[in-house]
Amino acid sequence: MKNKTTRILKVINRFGLHARPAAMLVETASRFDCEVTLSKDGVSANGKSIMSVMLLAAESGSEVELAAEGPQADGAIEAIDALFQAKFNEDEG
Amino acid sequence: MEIRHRGGLPLGRLFQTHGQSLGLEAKTTVFDVNIVEPDLHRPGLALAGFVQVFSHKRVQMVGNTEWCYLDSLSPDQRRESFRRLAPTPSPLWIFTHGNPVHPEIIEEGEAQGATVASCKRPTLELAEHLGEILEEHFAPFATVHASLVDVYGIGLLYVGKSGVGKSEAVLDLVERGHRLVADDVVYLARRGTDIIGTGNELLGQHMEIRGVGIIDVASLFGIRAIRQSKRIEMVVELKIWQEGDSYDRTGLSTYTCNLMGVDVPRTIIPLSPGKNITVIGEVIAMNTLLKLNGKDPARTFNERLIQLMNEKREERARRVARWE
Repeated sequence: MKNKTTRILKVINRFGLHARPAAMLVETASRFDCEVTLSKDGVSANGKSIMSVMLLAAESGSEVELAAEGPQADGAIEAIDALFQAKFNEDEG
Repeated sequence: MEIRHRGGLPLGRLFQTHGQSLGLEAKTTVFDVNIVEPDLHRPGLALAGFVQVFSHKRVQMVGNTEWCYLDSLSPDQRRESFRRLAPTPSPLWIFTHGNPVHPEIIEEGEAQGATVASCKRPTLELAEHLGEILEEHFAPFATVHASLVDVYGIGLLYVGKSGVGKSEAVLDLVERGHRLVADDVVYLARRGTDIIGTGNELLGQHMEIRGVGIIDVASLFGIRAIRQSKRIEMVVELKIWQEGDSYDRTGLSTYTCNLMGVDVPRTIIPLSPGKNITVIGEVIAMNTLLKLNGKDPARTFNERLIQLMNEKREERARRVARWE
């Protein structure tokens, strides 16, 4: 059962994917039974590793490609997309 | 956690345990009474006759001021000044600076059942030392099921369910040269905003290791492996990791645990087979040391990352502006 989904997501929270958003992303990704990969500018990161996600240094306004592969790939994509849309609950300061 | 208070401190015990270090010398019988308040009092006004408001339950310190006043009186007046206070007895009168205690006062004290003592130390010095002893005695205390170990000078209180491996974690730390304060039963006492942990006198630094039985850490590892008491800087909670549990990933948030009204930083270590929690304990201690020295690695790293992303964002904005 091969189930691979990809989606392009735009970083819209003000400070980009810094530690807190990265932690939320990783925590969400870890809940799903699938491989999660994020790619940006030719660099790809394991979506379940916080250090790896932070290495992307995905700044506000940039786009990342989210890919998930496995039984729960669709759920992971939707949940992570929702986090991006919600600006990772970041308070606009 | 039930917070308890000790009852009064018997005068006999005060003289026996601390008499020498305080330089106390009883001039009357040491009567069988308890000190019931941790504060000290200067009885100048009461001796001079104003007895309506007098904190008589406290230990009375007769300093130079009071002594000079008493000395200026005639023997009969001195006796009267002391006799007036008989209805409101104080547990202990201490004449400081080694000032000679007047015979009428000794006689009157003996008659009233009030203990009078002399102390060579200056009043402030006595107040500091005796105050500390009383504060410690009257400090609220509680007992917790935990293990306390000093790692690089940081007091780590290991908590967690029975059988989760607190003793084993602590034993491993001791083996690596850290110092055990108490295993299984830790007494907590609040001193100001500090929580001090000590062990049970009977248990000492004995601990039970499942499968081995009771061991004596001091005999096995030597005196350097134990410590009598330690301020608690961090609560380390050991928890069996379960699918779906979330825990701190960044170290940016501060979680605390309320111990007797004081918020102490807390870390939860999720346990899974094969994990070396000893090294994690050492890292927690060193990380706490870094923070105490004004360095917060998690925060510094995140600030650097945010700055990098800001620069990239500005550059993107410039590029967009050029195209337009």
